[in-house]
Amino acid sequence: MIARYVGRRLFQAAFVLWLAVTLAFVAMQLTPGDPAQALLAASGASKAEIAERRAQLGLDDPVLMQYAHYLWSLARADLGQSWLHGRPVGQMILEQLPATAELAVSATLVGTAAGLALGVLGALRHSTWLDTAATAVTVLGLSTPTYWSGLLAILLFSLELEWFPATGQGDLRHLLLPSLVLGFALSGSIARLVRARVLEVMEEPFVQAARARGLPARRVFLVHVLRPALPTALTIVALQFGFLLGGAVITESVFVRQGLGKLAVEAIIWRDLPVVRGVILFGALAYVLVNLAADLAQAWLNPRLREELA
Amino acid sequence: MKRLLPMLMLLSILIAGCCDPLPPATFTSTSRPFPSSDFTPTPIRLVYGLTLAPSGIDPHVNASSELGIPLTSVYDTLVYLNPDTGDFVPGLAEDWDVSEDELVYTFHLREGVTFHDGTPFSAEAVRFNLERITSPDLASQKARFMLGPYERVEVMDEYTVRIHLSEPFAPLLDSLSQVYLGMASPTAVETWGSDYQLHQVGTGPFTFAEYVPQDHLLLRRNPDYAWGPEVYQHETAQVDEIEFRFFVDPATRSPALETGEVDIMGEIPPQDAARLEENDDFRIEAAPIPGVSLMFFLNTTRPPLDDAKVRQALIFATNRQAIVSTIFRDTPPVAYGPLAANTFGYEPEVQDYYAHDPARAASLLDEAGWQDSDGDGVRDKNGEPLVLDMTLMGWGYMPQVGQLLAAQWSTLGIEVNAPSPVSYSEALEIAGEGRHHLIPFNLSGSDPDILRKFFHSQASFNWSKLDDAELDNWLEAAARTSDREGREALYSQIQLRVMNEALVLPIRDYVNLNGVSDRVQGLRFDAQGWFPWLVDVTGAEVQ
Repeated sequence: MIARYVGRRLFQAAFVLWLAVTLAFVAMQLTPGDPAQALLAASGASKAEIAERRAQLGLDDPVLMQYAHYLWSLARADLGQSWLHGRPVGQMILEQLPATAELAVSATLVGTAAGLALGVLGALRHSTWLDTAATAVTVLGLSTPTYWSGLLAILLFSLELEWFPATGQGDLRHLLLPSLVLGFALSGSIARLVRARVLEVMEEPFVQAARARGLPARRVFLVHVLRPALPTALTIVALQFGFLLGGAVITESVFVRQGLGKLAVEAIIWRDLPVVRGVILFGALAYVLVNLAADLAQAWLNPRLREELA
Repeated sequence: MKRLLPMLMLLSILIAGCCDPLPPATFTSTSRPFPSSDFTPTPIRLVYGLTLAPSGIDPHVNASSELGIPLTSVYDTLVYLNPDTGDFVPGLAEDWDVSEDELVYTFHLREGVTFHDGTPFSAEAVRFNLERITSPDLASQKARFMLGPYERVEVMDEYTVRIHLSEPFAPLLDSLSQVYLGMASPTAVETWGSDYQLHQVGTGPFTFAEYVPQDHLLLRRNPDYAWGPEVYQHETAQVDEIEFRFFVDPATRSPALETGEVDIMGEIPPQDAARLEENDDFRIEAAPIPGVSLMFFLNTTRPPLDDAKVRQALIFATNRQAIVSTIFRDTPPVAYGPLAANTFGYEPEVQDYYAHDPARAASLLDEAGWQDSDGDGVRDKNGEPLVLDMTLMGWGYMPQVGQLLAAQWSTLGIEVNAPSPVSYSEALEIAGEGRHHLIPFNLSGSDPDILRKFFHSQASFNWSKLDDAELDNWLEAAARTSDREGREALYSQIQLRVMNEALVLPIRDYVNLNGVSDRVQGLRFDAQGWFPWLVDVTGAEVQ
């Protein structure tokens, strides 16, 4: 049964990947602008030279042929060469990956910790001023764009207090501000979900039963409330982590970090199709794998699901 | 009580640490205890903020202006352009001569020059570089086209090399003076292949030490440099290392300077520049950029702008000074013609055209038959309202300029329709198809041949949609004419024609506002305005 479940999930993952690469292809077909023009217009190249470059890039081939060629190179794990940089796309993605992964992990940790704390606080002090305050912070996190909270954080912690460097990357001091800003943005959705789920579980009969048996409140909460509520949080944390692995473009820009988000935006602006497709494929792959792992973990954590599968 | 003693000890250490009256035992320039002859000073290191992460930084392949800011000091060029005199002076070529028919340039190269990897520089290296640049496999985005009608390169002897052209090309020396045609080590190019841009090797005053794409680029002083051009003021570099970092978001630039994270920062937004000027620790060094000013191209094929009177009315209706004051805080000069005032061949007579004159604009529109007959505040003709489509890009304050233009024109009964800003490639498509009435652009370059990219009927940026055989001929002739006065006369004619026909609405010349920390001196720029001569930069040690 487990094998069948895993098999089905793997098949779904492959389908999602195919869908992502195909959507990437179609989207870039639909966006206006000729890549050869974008590369050469300012150089003074003649119209004939631009046409020559277009043919060289394979852009004059029929669309279906371009699509087939694209799928075939992906199947061979060949992401091609960037038209703008003239370098292998796979290598360019690998160069940006450490910075992106570092920020994704740390922001997810911050977001999860803050989200759990706010959610649990709101649920435990349901309908008190503490709940209202926690909800207010949650809404703030959800609705504050990172380009704004990022600049505010720089103004406060770097320019005024001089605690952390405003920009750059390398050590923990550089990582802290962007992780806090991005983590704060993530914490909102986690907190909302955790609060709702904890409130829901607290109404369950088995919690009432535990209370009736006279178990200490802390034990009731940790074992009987939090444990069943956690898998829900896991799902949303995994969703967001997978999303972050594709790059956090605004946070990367504000804090002057490298990362996949910046790479993707530059490639879209210049219509550097091999890079756009490469980053999308990578982002989709990361997303699918992380979620697959989360689903399997959840199946294992959740006794009901585990029973169903067994 | 047992725990109190260690606590007290710890506390006393902390207090001693923070309130130590003696200076810490590290060597700084002011407290060297034993100055001696073999004392090596602390290396001087500067951080230079760039504004874009350059999109690929192989100067032979890529096209960004940003790549030239660091790499102009990694590579040497055959010749240099003296920005003060406009003359070409020797670089890696000690001397050169041009054949009678102007098709053959012979360069006599300097001897004793070595690349940073020890490879000797010779005629063979020049051949290697030019053949690399012109090879279709390299897919050059700029350098190849700067060579114009290049035909081939020929090695005459170890230190003599010839470039053959298929027709005369006046901008050749200007092109050869730029980093895009800088000389790279053939050994390094062959060793690294498509990864060469991460391991660049030139002959310049700095070596290319380290590059992490989108993060930083590190240059290190080349102690062996001894063949700098006369335009350099120092024999070797005055600082040990320069690290370049990338600040894409304009809002992050002046904070990075103010927190001391960078020592030099390019393209400070004008409002931040005004604030930095008030701080004694920093100064703004404005570098005027030659080339094509920021201007709006008026589509001469799309009614109502097919009528020269309407185009002229738009220029008369525009208060350029107000735009430059409001948006650019008076930092750049107002532009009156297609060329920036510091470009070779600039015709100052354009300044007499189109002074701000709303009354004149109104009467020109009346003459052209555009009047507000239905009293709705917008002029109309044959039942059609006077509405113009403005295509704007998101960078360079173009949206703000567009907004001010619309406001200024609305009082004259002209309505502007400006959808949200488009990307560069989308702008190329819209303007290429002529779906715009107005679209802005600017481009830097020291040679006036840049006008051919905008006003020749076959040009990519012919966004005025002009098809004027006479103008085409003048532009082609000017590109073939190497005699300076002859060229100037032709470019004067061209600029006056462009303004007489009201093909463009010029707004401002481009000025790069560099924020500079007071520990840095000697920041000088080449004739392109963008590229610093880092060999002359000096930096005090950080205290």
